[in-house]
Amino acid sequence: MSEKVTIALLGQPNSGKSTLFNALTGLRQHVGNWPGKTVEKKEGSFTYGSKEYDVADLPGSYSLSANSDEEVITRDFIASGNADVVCILADSSQLERSLFMVADYAGITVPCFVILNMADVAAAQGKKIDAGLIAQRLGVPAILFSANDKKGYEPFYKALEQAVNKKKTLDVSSLEASYEKIEGYQKVKKLMPEDLIPGYSPMWLAAKTLENDPVVLAKLKNTLDAETVSKIDGYRKGVQGAVETGSAKFAWIDEILSGALIEKKESAALGKLDRIYTHKVWGKPAVVLTILLGLIASFIPALPLMGFGKAFGMLKEPVTAALTSAGCPDFIISIICTVFIQSLSYIFQMLGFVFGVTLVFGLLEEVGVMARVSYVFDNTMGKLGLQGKSVMPFLVSFGCTMGGAAGTRVIDNWGQKVLTIALAWAVPCGAAWAVIPMLSSLFFGPGAVLVIVVILLTMLLHMWITAKIFGRGLVKEEDRYGMIMELPPYHKPKWGALLRYVLGRTKDTFVRVTKVVLLVCAIFWLISYSFSADSVPILYRIGTAIEPVTKLFGLNWQLFVAFVASSVGKEGALGVISALFTGGNFAGAFNQAMSGGGVASNLNEILLANVTKPEALAFIFAITFNMPCVVALAATYQEIHSAKWTAKIAVYYTLTALLLAAVVYHIGLLIF
Amino acid sequence: MKLSDLGENKNAIVAKLGGDSRFISRITSIGLTPGCRLQVVKNDRNRPVLVYSRDTMIALNRSECGGIEVTEV
Repeated sequence: MSEKVTIALLGQPNSGKSTLFNALTGLRQHVGNWPGKTVEKKEGSFTYGSKEYDVADLPGSYSLSANSDEEVITRDFIASGNADVVCILADSSQLERSLFMVADYAGITVPCFVILNMADVAAAQGKKIDAGLIAQRLGVPAILFSANDKKGYEPFYKALEQAVNKKKTLDVSSLEASYEKIEGYQKVKKLMPEDLIPGYSPMWLAAKTLENDPVVLAKLKNTLDAETVSKIDGYRKGVQGAVETGSAKFAWIDEILSGALIEKKESAALGKLDRIYTHKVWGKPAVVLTILLGLIASFIPALPLMGFGKAFGMLKEPVTAALTSAGCPDFIISIICTVFIQSLSYIFQMLGFVFGVTLVFGLLEEVGVMARVSYVFDNTMGKLGLQGKSVMPFLVSFGCTMGGAAGTRVIDNWGQKVLTIALAWAVPCGAAWAVIPMLSSLFFGPGAVLVIVVILLTMLLHMWITAKIFGRGLVKEEDRYGMIMELPPYHKPKWGALLRYVLGRTKDTFVRVTKVVLLVCAIFWLISYSFSADSVPILYRIGTAIEPVTKLFGLNWQLFVAFVASSVGKEGALGVISALFTGGNFAGAFNQAMSGGGVASNLNEILLANVTKPEALAFIFAITFNMPCVVALAATYQEIHSAKWTAKIAVYYTLTALLLAAVVYHIGLLIF
Repeated sequence: MKLSDLGENKNAIVAKLGGDSRFISRITSIGLTPGCRLQVVKNDRNRPVLVYSRDTMIALNRSECGGIEVTEV
């Protein structure tokens, strides 16, 4: 039996780490969270030769300092010996800067090798890189590489095998020589216990001590006697340790690269596209336009799946007819058609959209456009505790909240991802926009415009308040720093890897969403189904029983049941109303909530006869700000991998929707 | 002078970095260390400052880069 080898991918953001990970593992990957942490964990595996390899895609960060959970997790993973060999990525087109990760790694005792990625971009810039010389100086394998090149993976596997067989670590002698020139370094190193934290050399620990690394300092305090600790504190005071070691690291990089990198020094110039994106007036409109075009483009790959979903839904009638003629009991027909066929039809349609959004926005991320979006909206989104990129899921959510949730995949911080989805729920989706204008103009005539404006303002207020409420638990105060990031050069995507990744994620989403949707729909069906001709469904009994309470929110029992149904799907709210006010088939109400059909032809008269203006206003707000739909709920769970947070957000939205309904109802009573 | 006061297309050398260790660690890890050359590419109010240094276009939040002192060259 051949042994299993674990490799960890380490690299700064935009070093092409995800592309490499996706290309290596394809569909064999798993995404979850690190135990007890709000950081995403990506693992996968592949086979090369006769060996089986496990790959851990470590969270991207610019250094190995202990400033964030991502960095601490990365360090712990490596130092605790989980990886047999670490693959460090650097960007060949920005070699000097991106080798910093290698310099920061130097002194960690786990074997490594270096991938000088984006060799194609560097070559296009006229840079000549001597990888052999770099490898010789580093003392570990190092190769020029393009992760987006289909043919070029052989050198990667060769370097990997070499690293695994020889188990070499970085040659740090000349880096240490630079460190030794730093005041206090030698004294601190002398006091450093040999095995303070396994996996790190005394050199690495001494440098981190000077950098005021909180984790290393805490460990020192716990291990050494008070006198030695105060000695060390004395040495590190008065030195700007992180600046000094940073300079030493770059001096070392310069040494490594001297003669190994030949480039023409040119001054910076923005390309045509970047001149528009960074324009102080046109930047924001250009970003919004880009996202909207992306949204439209998402429909193209989405159409086949959406069509399939629709066609699947059409099976309902023939299946019902066939089962009825076969003498099948009504409730079984109802389960098969209303729960299974209808839910799956709905899921397939939504999934098409998820596929499209993941593909298009994954592409924009890989090409480098999302970094520009981040830059343009950094200030605005920063006020909510979010990254500039969060603007994309918000805009996508005007179309479909599930797409918005899928779009948060480009946000690399888990807390900010959850917060983004939590806020995106407040954005009325396409289905809500199909209902709001119709109801508003029916009840308020030209005043409908005003209703819509108030809804949009409420949305902004909702997002702001929700950011305050959820932000505290999700995005720590010390993580709310402004942007320090690079705008990477635009580069070609690796289509194969991207497609495999998107297909994999769509499949995962399908599995998880189907489970949640079927469960919720089954419950809903159960409480709305009349099992015998003279029994009334549970939902009816509950609805009428608590009507005195729901009346406070301006919702009589029919409207309240329609509100509950709108949590499943907003399209169906009107169908439910039609069924309930006409005393029609109650059990059919649920079916209509899912299919979005069944609106009575005289709906307008029915509504005007049974619903007052304040009640209408309450109902409009209640369904607009209710949770978007059961599929969005499932997609949220799929993206954030946390049942707790998904439930929190869902309960919060149900309650705030009712609260908003109550507020507008009572304002409405004053006006009308 | 402060980096954020430097006009567009001006070249400078980083003179001093000030701020908490977290900021120092983040700013050095993206390549801005004392003595390194940079060029201001964009400097509009309400947007991050765009600088070009070590072959890299870097976006820096305005308030964050208050701690970066530069000497114009």
